Amino acid sequence: MTLQNCLILAFILFAIGTWGVLRRRHMVGMLISIEIMLNAANINFISFAYFKAADATAGALFSIFVIAVTACEMAIALAIVITMYRRHHSLDVNQLRDLHE
Amino acid sequence: MTLLSDALFSDVMFYLVAAVMIGTAIATIMAKNLLQSAVFLIFSFVGTAILYLMLHAEFMAMAQIMVYAGGVIIFVIFTILLTSHLGESALHIKLPRTFIALMISLAFLWVMVRFVVLTPDLNVATPTATSGYASLSSFALRLLSTGPEGFVIPFEIISLLLLVTLVCAITIARKFKGEE
Repeated sequence: MTLQNCLILAFILFAIGTWGVLRRRHMVGMLISIEIMLNAANINFISFAYFKAADATAGALFSIFVIAVTACEMAIALAIVITMYRRHHSLDVNQLRDLHE
Repeated sequence: MTLLSDALFSDVMFYLVAAVMIGTAIATIMAKNLLQSAVFLIFSFVGTAILYLMLHAEFMAMAQIMVYAGGVIIFVIFTILLTSHLGESALHIKLPRTFIALMISLAFLWVMVRFVVLTPDLNVATPTATSGYASLSSFALRLLSTGPEGFVIPFEIISLLLLVTLVCAITIARKFKGEE
């Protein structure tokens, strides 16, 4: 297990997340894909902190902040999803363009 | 137990965990039913927690299980159940859309992997981190110290952000009078 292996694993997961965000039409499905991308970013932080960082604790601490911000983001996004479903009875992102009218 | 050396054992474990994570992530993306994809996401997050344990970040593994597999997934499952009828599949996706999305993400992957492989500095197997670099006590000491290496101000900002998020989420999701 080298740093290179971990970084390539993180990139593969990030690419899978990008694929999901681009191909899903359902809003909750897109949010799940964004979770995978953020998870890949966290793996990147931790593996750099473990293998190469001069100050490993600071590097690992950053991913704690990422986790906290992710939890906030999910709470807000799911509140928006519930409101949108109540008004439009659909979670198709193609219909989101009606919002500005 | 001298059949496998330690380095070989950790390599085998890494590839096993990586295969599980990639497989469940792809299953998450491809699942027709959103509830299924949320369940696959739990397995992907548990795989990440095992990877953190292999990188000796025990507290991170615990936080991963508690926050993601315990908190965020429950959020997602509740929202799926609130906003759709059980067993209803996701919206229909056309094949060209899937293909173009796959091409874009593969192009990204190719560029990044090529960059990483061509950088010899990144091919290190011996960690520089001391043991216990991500333990609860070292995190707590850094988060709460007010010295030049402390993180007390970001910690306070995050706590404020969590409070604001709580209030905002309730405000956005509540029913106004006269609505339905």
